[in-house]
Amino acid sequence: MSQSPPRPLPTLWVVRTSHGTRSSRLEGGRFVPAHTPWLREHAALLRLFVANDFRARYRAQALGVVWSLLQPLVMMGILSLVFSHTFRSTEPNFSIFLLIGLLIWQWISAALNSATNAFVVNADMVKRTVFPRALLPLTSVLSYGINAAVESIALIAIIPFFPGAFRLSWALVAIPGLLACLIVLLGGAALAVSVLNVIYRDVAYLVSTGLLILYWLTPVVYPPSIVPGRWQLLYAWNPLGGVISGLRDAILHGQAPDAAAWGRLLAATVLVALVGAVIFRRHEHEMLDHV
Amino acid sequence: MSEDAIVELRGVGKMFRRFDHPPFLLRNLFARLSGRVPPRPDFWPMRAVSATIHRGETVALIGRNGSGKSTLLRLIAGAAYPSEGEIAVRGRIAPLLQLGAGFQPDMTGRECARVNGVALGLSPTQVDERLPAIAGFADLDGFLDTPVRYYSSGMLARLGFAVAVHTDPDLLIVDEVLAVGDQAFQAKCLSKIDELRAGGVTILFVSHDEALVRKLCERALLLDGGQLVADGPVAEVLARYEERSRQA
Repeated sequence: MSQSPPRPLPTLWVVRTSHGTRSSRLEGGRFVPAHTPWLREHAALLRLFVANDFRARYRAQALGVVWSLLQPLVMMGILSLVFSHTFRSTEPNFSIFLLIGLLIWQWISAALNSATNAFVVNADMVKRTVFPRALLPLTSVLSYGINAAVESIALIAIIPFFPGAFRLSWALVAIPGLLACLIVLLGGAALAVSVLNVIYRDVAYLVSTGLLILYWLTPVVYPPSIVPGRWQLLYAWNPLGGVISGLRDAILHGQAPDAAAWGRLLAATVLVALVGAVIFRRHEHEMLDHV
Repeated sequence: MSEDAIVELRGVGKMFRRFDHPPFLLRNLFARLSGRVPPRPDFWPMRAVSATIHRGETVALIGRNGSGKSTLLRLIAGAAYPSEGEIAVRGRIAPLLQLGAGFQPDMTGRECARVNGVALGLSPTQVDERLPAIAGFADLDGFLDTPVRYYSSGMLARLGFAVAVHTDPDLLIVDEVLAVGDQAFQAKCLSKIDELRAGGVTILFVSHDEALVRKLCERALLLDGGQLVADGPVAEVLARYEERSRQA
């Protein structure tokens, strides 16, 4: 075999303490934290996780992507029939209005349910291999995000059948921003529920009950205008409602969220992401001992 | 501490909490709000372990069952966190912890190799280039696109070992994984370990096989009850170990 001289050891150390992992430099016998771009460093692994997760899901389903398109369309059909008389006056294109809400909600609930089990399902990998654990719940969010993207093909395909349901306008520029907020929101929530579910046995029930409650507190299948006045403020602060209503207004009405709506959405997004990250950091070690 | 240190342990301890009943988040929150947090007894299976491992060393961890060998390996590998003290490592670490390789059952052998290789620090293209060598080493030609749930335990262990040794590690951590596999594969693993050693790779290694420890390692750490009780040349530390075992 070839006897190449050993490559030099990196000057950066990985230091683990009860507070977590940090990249550090050794200076005068002490480890001094150094900053490294976390997400960029692990982007390749995250991409691989997302691709594997997405592929494994469709390997398990015979109908593949078709199934994922069918479900929201069927829901849209049923709900349009049931509710169209009630809401038609407020929402002329109620079917498209519904489909947008259902697509996004399907992403939210699938991502959080999958993140809840991220460490439990992959216990073997978590126990025996070493990688940044936060990548697993984030994988759930992104992988179901791809699902939602595939499903929106159905949305784009049927929009021409509903004249007046789409308006080409500058408001469409808001869509990437709204989706970015949703990804960050879901990421924060996914981090929290994934670690807590390993340690506490009731988290899976709390998540599914919480999602059920949120489903009705968020204007998914009804327009926000039917909410009574004194509850409007509470609704305005619900970031999930903010994203869904923002997307609907941009696509259906050519209206971008106003500054106040952006402000509320960003504030709530940052709050959820911070709380999620803190919960994750504080419980990651215990999770590794329990998994 | 010298220039060529690769693992540095400073006062490392690990604490676990005992639960008398399964923990529930809601109950926990109510208890915290009402200020009545039930006491959770701590116990420390490991305390105050300090040592430095230098590049190129082959070090054995020895001690009785439950002395903390596997815990220490997990801590160094980064599969668990210390409760006190500092653990510093650098370079590429390839951990082989216990049986199995930590794969998701629905993934194919190829996907598992990719995930493991990238988690260890290779790029996806680097893994793809090395896949033929990995499959050849693990005797898995023709099974790479089979989901690993259909693999035998031997196949899983071989794939795990093959990926780890093909990532150009600086430090290889081996926790009794050599106990699996048949004679032929064990011999192959040992000769691979010899080859890595000759190339300057640091090896940290748990085994109950005394002859193997004597053959492979120059230095040994003796753990007893989670304390580091001896650190030095293999022959001396093994003698201490026998002495202590006789007393016990």
